[in-house]
Amino acid sequence: MTRGFSLIAIGALLALTATQTFAAGDPARGKTKIATCVACHGQDGNSVDPQYPRLAGQYADYLAQALHEYKTGQRGNPVMKGFAATLSDQDITDISAYFSTMPTRLSGLEGHIQGE
Amino acid sequence: MKRLHLVGLIAVALCAASAVHAEGDKTRGRTLVYTCNGCHGVPGYSNVYPEYHVPHIAGQNEQYIVNALKSYRTKGGDRKHPTMSAQADSLSNEDIADIAAYLSSLAK
Repeated sequence: MTRGFSLIAIGALLALTATQTFAAGDPARGKTKIATCVACHGQDGNSVDPQYPRLAGQYADYLAQALHEYKTGQRGNPVMKGFAATLSDQDITDISAYFSTMPTRLSGLEGHIQGE
Repeated sequence: MKRLHLVGLIAVALCAASAVHAEGDKTRGRTLVYTCNGCHGVPGYSNVYPEYHVPHIAGQNEQYIVNALKSYRTKGGDRKHPTMSAQADSLSNEDIADIAAYLSSLAK
């Protein structure tokens, strides 16, 4: 019993460490760089206006990918291109880390399709 | 006084316009998202080249989903992603509205 518990604890610890290494960005540092974002996306990334996406709880690497694509113009959006242009790679990683850790209203689609 | 009437009319018109916007059919949307599930319903699933997680879309905001899907269309779209473009090209405006209505209704 104790042994099983220790194993689970070690597993959880490993999982946590792995996630942190993977995210690489620093949410605390990200929080200091989001002054521009909050006007549309909200302080915690839960945009109220339905035309803007919720960022809270979204995968950090997806958010970073989107910001890079806005920056290069691969994803065309004049407003976001302007903002993304001012961000360094480190800024993008930190901002993405911050929003991904906020309390989310998003989830995967599993369990939400017909017949499930 | 006349001006007040005008302001009132504009306010009513704006309300009517946003009501039309939110007209997607959730029930129909629920059957349409079956295809989306192949990627967006697999926990932790990743895009490749480049590699990043396929985004969470359940609970996303309605008008954003509409705009995003239309942007993936090959003609006149601002987003380039082969798989998503193929999907978006196969969807009518009504399909997109219904999908957006259903997905946004899933907000936790």
